[in-house]
Amino acid sequence: MRAEEISKPAEQLVEIKVEDLPKLPPPYENFEEQPITPLSDDQKSRWEHSLDGVSALNLPRPQNPEEEKALIESFLRGLGKLLTKENNWTFLQPLSLSLEYCAKCQTCADACPAFEMSGRKDIYRPTYRSDVLRKIAKKYLSKNGKILAAFRGHDIDLNWETIARLAELAYRCTLCRRCAQVCPVGVDNGLINHELRKIFSMEMGISALEVHDKGSVKQLQFGSSTGMTKAALHDIIEYLEDDIEEKIGRRISIPINKKGADILLIHNAGEFMAWPENPMAFAILFDAAGINYTIATDLAGYDGVNYGLWYDDVQFARVAIQHLQVAKELGVKKIVIGECGHAHKALSVIADRLLPGAQLIPRESSYTLLWDIVKSGKIKFDPSKNDFPVTLHDPCNIVRLMGVVKPQRDVLKAITAPGRFREMTPHGVTNYCCGGGSGFAIMSSGNFPDWKRLVSGRKKLSQILGAFQGEMDPSVRKMVCAPCSNCKGMIRDMMQSYEVFETTGIWYTGLVELMVNAMVDIEKPFITWPDEEEDM
Amino acid sequence: MPTLEIEGRTFEVDEDGFLQDPDLWNEEVAKLFAKTEGIQELTDEHWKVVHYLRNYYLEFNIAPMIRKVCKDTGFKLKKIYELFPSGPAKGACKVAGLPKPTGCV
Repeated sequence: MRAEEISKPAEQLVEIKVEDLPKLPPPYENFEEQPITPLSDDQKSRWEHSLDGVSALNLPRPQNPEEEKALIESFLRGLGKLLTKENNWTFLQPLSLSLEYCAKCQTCADACPAFEMSGRKDIYRPTYRSDVLRKIAKKYLSKNGKILAAFRGHDIDLNWETIARLAELAYRCTLCRRCAQVCPVGVDNGLINHELRKIFSMEMGISALEVHDKGSVKQLQFGSSTGMTKAALHDIIEYLEDDIEEKIGRRISIPINKKGADILLIHNAGEFMAWPENPMAFAILFDAAGINYTIATDLAGYDGVNYGLWYDDVQFARVAIQHLQVAKELGVKKIVIGECGHAHKALSVIADRLLPGAQLIPRESSYTLLWDIVKSGKIKFDPSKNDFPVTLHDPCNIVRLMGVVKPQRDVLKAITAPGRFREMTPHGVTNYCCGGGSGFAIMSSGNFPDWKRLVSGRKKLSQILGAFQGEMDPSVRKMVCAPCSNCKGMIRDMMQSYEVFETTGIWYTGLVELMVNAMVDIEKPFITWPDEEEDM
Repeated sequence: MPTLEIEGRTFEVDEDGFLQDPDLWNEEVAKLFAKTEGIQELTDEHWKVVHYLRNYYLEFNIAPMIRKVCKDTGFKLKKIYELFPSGPAKGACKVAGLPKPTGCV
């Protein structure tokens, strides 16, 4: 499909058909896939769906030609701003280089899980949206980002269809940046997609509800995108302390707002709500290793997520500044980021790029600290306690982007029974995304969950199944270690849709849970499997 | 904004059928929303969960974590699924008039 076709009138440009999708490995090779649920007539009348019949953004149509014209102008203004230094000093250089130097060799397409797993639909090629943007910029804008009086060449039309489809298309890429990794000239189509999202949010007020209104806005208002307040967190921490006592037979105090602690530990607040074993396991390990740390309960200091990372530089900066401020006020030596990939990228790589150096304090991944704990010998681990097949998922932001590859593997090798750990193919920096990156794990409106199930999550599910081939008997329990809240959420949803545990015995958890499960001093197993409910 | 009509009453709901304005909730509303979940009659056990969720939400602005619901009501997760077939988050919270959970959960 050519770039120009994005502006053609059509009810729907492409259709995802289950028969076009690459087959999953056994025992799912003949699995009867449920197709994407068509939007209801009511939803169709309210939401744009002319890209692929899917609505992630629930975008309303303009009501009259004036409104359409205003939206087109606003889009062009936003694109113009992206291309000028005063408005986009943050990412102008990689954006311009990526727009200028793509040789259209399509090496990136083969690396893109969304393109491959969609049955190779052209519109999902990493180059497709970039090419559309490039053509719009050439036709409508001068070199310095001004809207031209007379448009030049290029038969692409910037009409409402183009804008609506581009908006949805910006949310068909998980920003995993596998495309950028394989590009022979270093073009970053993932970054171009990120910049496209910025036009929609920062200039046009268009973003995903779960990511903006119910995400970063809520985090700035309450302290967490979950809506968790300080009072709620105090209640939760007390509960965690009770629960730890029941599980390990002794009470541990979780330090809160401890001034002058060495470390501020920031979790993704979703862990407290959906996977409380994760912050519990951190508390047990840090206590046993004698680490002088604290949890913060002041605004934004207890939720490491920063959704602005995915779509809006201003929202990003607002949250990042709060994270750093909380750390400064507590006087800690460094921030340690829990098992959350986006928090890693936001608070380390992107904060370094966007915020003045004076505001920064040292930040460290929990992965490296956890390996330091193992190496220190302060905690005794019995690897035979984790005597089941284990594989490891590499969160894109921590592994491909930041290059943290070995510590989590060294930890796993030290805490799992010999021969039980196996890699996925491929893994490390060439891993595949869980399918929930860039906000997808929490975006669930309309029929977007169906798209995630069939397309973006499909590659990782294939890899997970692939790692355990030959051992698919469901009575043999097997574990995916996924040390990232977002990835866990996506993997959980995929496992539920495909009844993976019931069918194959494969389950998922984080890294710290497996570590505590192997601790010699703790009698009862820390990990629970879905078919064994604890007595509560 | 979608609306949901149950037995002649109309409610504004979000795209997933959660009550838009939590202040409109009362026991009558709970009974009506229960019907959309396929629960014909709310028993004492249902009410125990519903009131627990409701009170927690009013105090803390969020739904309680599922482990805590089980612990404080004394019901195992399996039992909660028997009471509310679509589960604690989608089923029980909806009947209790809580908004849909947000964030990385």
